[in-house]
Amino acid sequence: MSGRTFRLRRGTTSVALLVGGAAVAVATWVGGSPAWALGVAVAYLVLAALAYLWAGGAGDAAAILRAEPDERQRGLDRDATALTGVAMALAALAGAVVSIGRSGNPGAYGVMCVVGGTAYAISLAVLRRRR
Amino acid sequence: MSSTLSIVRNRVRDLRVAHDLSQAQLGADLDVSRQTINSIENGRYLPSLPLALAMARRFDVTVEEIFMVDEPEGAR
Repeated sequence: MSGRTFRLRRGTTSVALLVGGAAVAVATWVGGSPAWALGVAVAYLVLAALAYLWAGGAGDAAAILRAEPDERQRGLDRDATALTGVAMALAALAGAVVSIGRSGNPGAYGVMCVVGGTAYAISLAVLRRRR
Repeated sequence: MSSTLSIVRNRVRDLRVAHDLSQAQLGADLDVSRQTINSIENGRYLPSLPLALAMARRFDVTVEEIFMVDEPEGAR
């Protein structure tokens, strides 16, 4: 890989963090909290800088941060993503149950449950056709 | 997966040393990381068929000469 390509790859996660951070900061500003918005922007800038530094390493996480994992690292990333999905699904389900108990409706947790369940069903239907 | 891992042995380390290669050099030849070569050698990771074939080609042996099933006595 050329030095230029490596530098571009190295910034992959940092760019994602900067874009996401900018969106959150702008939303916070529009929401009427400019001081918090500044804090969010700084926090994401620091995270992006840390991600850029980490992505320059030679480890598994660095390769994943550069979005250029080999097959084993891709498997690690996929398994970690799946476990993250399970954790988020459990949190959404617990949140929905608590929310129903408190207010009679699941609120945003219900939306997360529907999105998660629908995404799983569609993913399974699509993926099983490919394997 | 862990049950499959436990019954498949490999000779990657022996072949690599015989070819005077470091894990990093072999990884570079096969376009995978040093950590992945290390995981294969230590039996923590089973490579994909394309990677196993590339490895066999690199060492000029067959896949069966690198990876073998550790069958219990009297299994055949």
